[in-house]
Amino acid sequence: MKRPTDKHGAAFCRRTRREFLWDAGGKFTGLALTGLLAHDGFLATQQAAADGITPWRNPLAAKPPHFAPKAKNVIFLFMYGGPSHVDTFDHKPTLAKYDGQTVKVKTKGRGGERDEGRIVGPKWNFAQYGECGAWVSDLFPHLATCVDDIAFLKSMTADSPIHGSAMLMMNSGRILSGAPALGSWVNYGLGSVNENLPGFVVMLDPVGGPISGAKNWSSGFMPATYQGTVLRTQGAPILDMDLPGGVTRPMERDVLDALKDMNEAHQTTRLANSELAARIASYELSYKMQRSAPEAVDLSDESAETLELYGVNQEKTRDFGTRCLLARRLVERGVRFVQLYSGGAHNDDNWDAHGDLEKNHNHHAGATDQPIAALLKDLKRRGMLNETIVIWGGEFGRQPTAEYAQGTGRDHNSYGFTMWVAGGGIKGGISLGTTDELGSAAVERPMHVKHLHATILQQLGLDPNQLSYFFGGLDQKLVGVEHVEPIHEII
Amino acid sequence: MFRTARWIIVVCCAFISATLPRAHGATAESEVDFIRDVKPILAKRCFACHGPNDSEAGLQLHNAEIATGELDSGEIAVVPGDPDASALLYRVTETDEDLRMPPEGDPLTEREVGVLQAWIEQGAEWKDHWAFQPREPVEPPEVQDAGWVKNPIDAFVLARLEQAGLSPAPPAGKRTLIRRLYFDLIGLPPTPEEVEAFVADNSPQAYERLVDRLLASERYGERWARHWLDVVRFAETNSYERDGPKPNAWKYRDYVIRSFNSDKPYDQFLREQLAGDELDEVTRETIIATGFYRLGRWDDEPADRLLAKYDEFDDIVTVVGQGMLGLTVNCARCHDHKIDPIPQADYYRLLAFFRDLGGHGDGSRFTDKHSQVDISPPEIRALYAGHEARVDNVKARMREIEQTGIARMPAEDQRASEGLDRPRVLSERLPEFLNEEETAKYEALKAERDSLKQARKKLPPREMALGVTHCFVEPPRTHILLRGMPRSEGDAVIPGYPAIFKQSDPVIPPPAEDATTARRRQVLADWITSDSNMLTPRVAVNRVWQHHFGRGIVRSANNFGELGTPPTHPLLLDCLANDFVAGGWKLKRLHRLMVTSNTYRMSSAARDEALAVDPNNDLFWRFNPRRLSAEEIRDAILAVNGRLNLKMYGPGFYPQISEEVLAAQSMPGKGWGGSSPHEQARRSVYIHVKRSLITPLLEAFDFPETDSSCEARFNTTQPQQAFALLHGDFINAQAAAFADRLAREAEGKEAQVTRALELAMSRPPDHDYVQRSLALMDRLQSEHGLSEEAALRLICLSVYNLNEFIFLD
Repeated sequence: MKRPTDKHGAAFCRRTRREFLWDAGGKFTGLALTGLLAHDGFLATQQAAADGITPWRNPLAAKPPHFAPKAKNVIFLFMYGGPSHVDTFDHKPTLAKYDGQTVKVKTKGRGGERDEGRIVGPKWNFAQYGECGAWVSDLFPHLATCVDDIAFLKSMTADSPIHGSAMLMMNSGRILSGAPALGSWVNYGLGSVNENLPGFVVMLDPVGGPISGAKNWSSGFMPATYQGTVLRTQGAPILDMDLPGGVTRPMERDVLDALKDMNEAHQTTRLANSELAARIASYELSYKMQRSAPEAVDLSDESAETLELYGVNQEKTRDFGTRCLLARRLVERGVRFVQLYSGGAHNDDNWDAHGDLEKNHNHHAGATDQPIAALLKDLKRRGMLNETIVIWGGEFGRQPTAEYAQGTGRDHNSYGFTMWVAGGGIKGGISLGTTDELGSAAVERPMHVKHLHATILQQLGLDPNQLSYFFGGLDQKLVGVEHVEPIHEII
Repeated sequence: MFRTARWIIVVCCAFISATLPRAHGATAESEVDFIRDVKPILAKRCFACHGPNDSEAGLQLHNAEIATGELDSGEIAVVPGDPDASALLYRVTETDEDLRMPPEGDPLTEREVGVLQAWIEQGAEWKDHWAFQPREPVEPPEVQDAGWVKNPIDAFVLARLEQAGLSPAPPAGKRTLIRRLYFDLIGLPPTPEEVEAFVADNSPQAYERLVDRLLASERYGERWARHWLDVVRFAETNSYERDGPKPNAWKYRDYVIRSFNSDKPYDQFLREQLAGDELDEVTRETIIATGFYRLGRWDDEPADRLLAKYDEFDDIVTVVGQGMLGLTVNCARCHDHKIDPIPQADYYRLLAFFRDLGGHGDGSRFTDKHSQVDISPPEIRALYAGHEARVDNVKARMREIEQTGIARMPAEDQRASEGLDRPRVLSERLPEFLNEEETAKYEALKAERDSLKQARKKLPPREMALGVTHCFVEPPRTHILLRGMPRSEGDAVIPGYPAIFKQSDPVIPPPAEDATTARRRQVLADWITSDSNMLTPRVAVNRVWQHHFGRGIVRSANNFGELGTPPTHPLLLDCLANDFVAGGWKLKRLHRLMVTSNTYRMSSAARDEALAVDPNNDLFWRFNPRRLSAEEIRDAILAVNGRLNLKMYGPGFYPQISEEVLAAQSMPGKGWGGSSPHEQARRSVYIHVKRSLITPLLEAFDFPETDSSCEARFNTTQPQQAFALLHGDFINAQAAAFADRLAREAEGKEAQVTRALELAMSRPPDHDYVQRSLALMDRLQSEHGLSEEAALRLICLSVYNLNEFIFLD
């Protein structure tokens, strides 16, 4: 009988959480309770706040964590399409030995289930780096210099080897669409410390969005307040933020002032309806965002050395470098969760190397290696890495065998793949778990996506098994109904 | 049916104590309620070992008989009236940690012990949850101020208010009332002329006539259909990678609109959706209704087909359970329900009713075999069936040859052949990988295919619907799945009703010679819609109440179980449910009853003394003000500028979505068509609903998530709403159209501004509003150098952003 669990919302002994809230009526006092109200989207969904006493609270206002956090922010570098672990960080000498030979090995990908296949040896050389001696392939010369800050998770598993459902799983913990994204959970749990910027920001690759588009940063069954906001590096950073043609900022100020006057006049006979005040306040907030968002994405105050570091001046790395730099700037300004996509659209526009593996991975690693290393180094020298978790990985890895009779393309692999995590209290210079000698499946210390999610929440001061949202008759959790331990070895 | 009876008052008082705000505190001394106070403690601290799933030491505390009987140890856990003799009490207060219960975790708090003690002292009564008790006849209570009671609803509401020492708010003014009623019933604002006509009509029946007129309007169905579409998570695509369109989904949406407009009895409405293909009289309409089963998401490329199949069933069980019965049966997919008495078997017994349904696509990605139903006349259907068989045959033979050639191609071509590039691979690459004989055969087949294609054009047109077809007459056996895992089959089950209904298993008639389905769904439909079903009518009237009054009598409209919220007015709920059934399940009759009550016609103004006693308005001492919904906002914007296109029905339209939003798709613009400006000015209910691309304006104003049943929309306030209504392309185009209308209809700035405000607020604006707007207009012209036209456009924009435009009193 584990029903009521949420530390904030749980043990109201004799009543359901919701019942409790209605009972509590207008006497909201304690901080925890106010946090709880915002948690449940309660103020937003119920007339109950119409007590004329409770001040309106932005549901994204900062909330206390369950316990002292190790990290404050997350930057998720999503390598969409699924990078090949055996060509990047999971060194498999055996694989090179069997190159070209057909061997018995169980695989499951978009091409279905197979029992044997032609081995494609790793296409890049591996070497050991750092004090920890981590293996990194030649695809990542810059990143190789950061391995002592990184924990490699080499035995990741996921429930689906198909992009659509696998993307949803990596982002929301489930293969079914309709659940909130990790970034939504984090903002639901912690709120944002900068009300002038969205708390969950997504930056897409210019070639296009990922498969399933906005479903990947949806707040699912939670209010839209928690969904990811797409931030653009070109044009208006946020949808509809730019003034329409012919309207200037002073002009809009005048319009807003007149509007405010009239809305306040309307409100005087309706003081008990706090939603009216909330809406008036939200217009001022949006006006402030029009200053703060463009400031956040304006790189003109960054030093030449910094721009150089991120590769902003080179064609190959300009885009991802810019977005990595923006990620740092957003985190600096209190944005809780930033997700960057490397790759978009379909096929070789992302890491989905079904045809020519070398061409594909050279391209995508080439565009991201230097920027990612720069991000880690920049965060570190600014003292930000210890409170910012950086996650790297795709929705799955790739198979050791070829997908087709000819060529180097590899099919998807959710039985075993590599992700890495750095910063935010994560121990560096660690490699945890292994796949078999071919890299086809996790064998030692297998870890599931939900363990990674649990680890992120844990570092942010949220108990993954307590953070819940009541929906559809259940206390829904990011990590599912069964108890999930974070990955203790790396924290 | 509304006689007065004294016993009702008594029952009513008991309910009041169960549902009044606990601000006054339920201390151990006061009356303890088993469901509210005791069961949660037992469930949380004891049931794990002594409950529905386990009976250590022979004790099960959810079961009165066992809990008050002698245990293996000779002890008695609960001795009603005698706490000292009750083992339950001394075991939880035991000071020896080794003996104290529960063995794990903190001991019970003093308060919890106090509750248990008081409950035992008061006789230790076990009660069923309120919703799991059959409805009884209910009479409205007596009240002091009988003059306020316009209909029975008022008696129930007033009795509670009087008990709490509160009085109802005075009636709302006529202008407020007509605006409230318009949005509520038809989702659109009244025109100033309609308002003035109503204000001027002093006849006693003026309001009732207005109600009747609006209920008779076709706009009513468009407004109320959307409430149902929220419940059934209506969308027209499948989600996931392709998020492809489900052809003809819009026909289901039209079916719902027509059903509301024709005042189709609600029981019939449900029967058609659940078993429209099995009814005694199957019509085009009832087949379209079965589109109900095809509205959910479905993964056309699942990682695990068997699991995906059960996920589809789960989606149906969830929507039927929550949407029609108010039960979270879905919580029992993997184990017995943790709180409600819903064993896991109930879930699979309910699922078994649906086992004759094939999946959306039945494994292969794009087939519509189970989902597209030909609703043309039989002779046309036969023509097409014959033709399709010939086409299938030719295609299969062609594919055989194609695959032979593809297998000889390099990897990249093979890869390409599996996707959208297949036609290119076939036309450019295939010839060189086929031998002469294969080539000849292939060419001949191509010619045959082409001539069949020509022949098809000459067939008479046919009509398809999204629905269920090709059902299993003898469905596979249904098993309980251990921990919900599809490969861990437990006991087999037969279709049956949830145990809480205490009804014997249904008899499923054996399939007839010409049967095309298993006839299980019809049995289920008849049971769900039977007059005696304790939940269906309660859930239905509660939803109607929710939309009229801002919240349900049961706030958790999809969950009437123990984790839901208790009803604030349980007797009123049952009275309405009984009356609904007695009146033939007619919705318009129910609307009329509700909106003509004095309860509905109260002012929404707050009063300090009432706020102090009941800040949540649990007792309905005033009307709940509300923000307009996403659709109402968009529709009202178009209504007040005169551009609203009232064309009804048909395929959905595509509002223009900015490129930056489309850029987030993996194939920008895919699945989003273009519609003419006139078409784009239609009501929001006709917008094409694409799961991964919800129209941003609607999304900003809390359009529901499309993948699960929405019991009540969120009501957020966020900066994106301000951006959308200040800077968005749509709003600026509409503001310009609004300004054009004003320029046409009124002469001079003052008249134009006055007209704008009057149209937006449904009342003559006060002098102050007009002056402020005029002052702004002057400033825009003099200080910002705008032309009069441009300034008027910005005035219109500001009017669209007024709280009075977006909120209802």
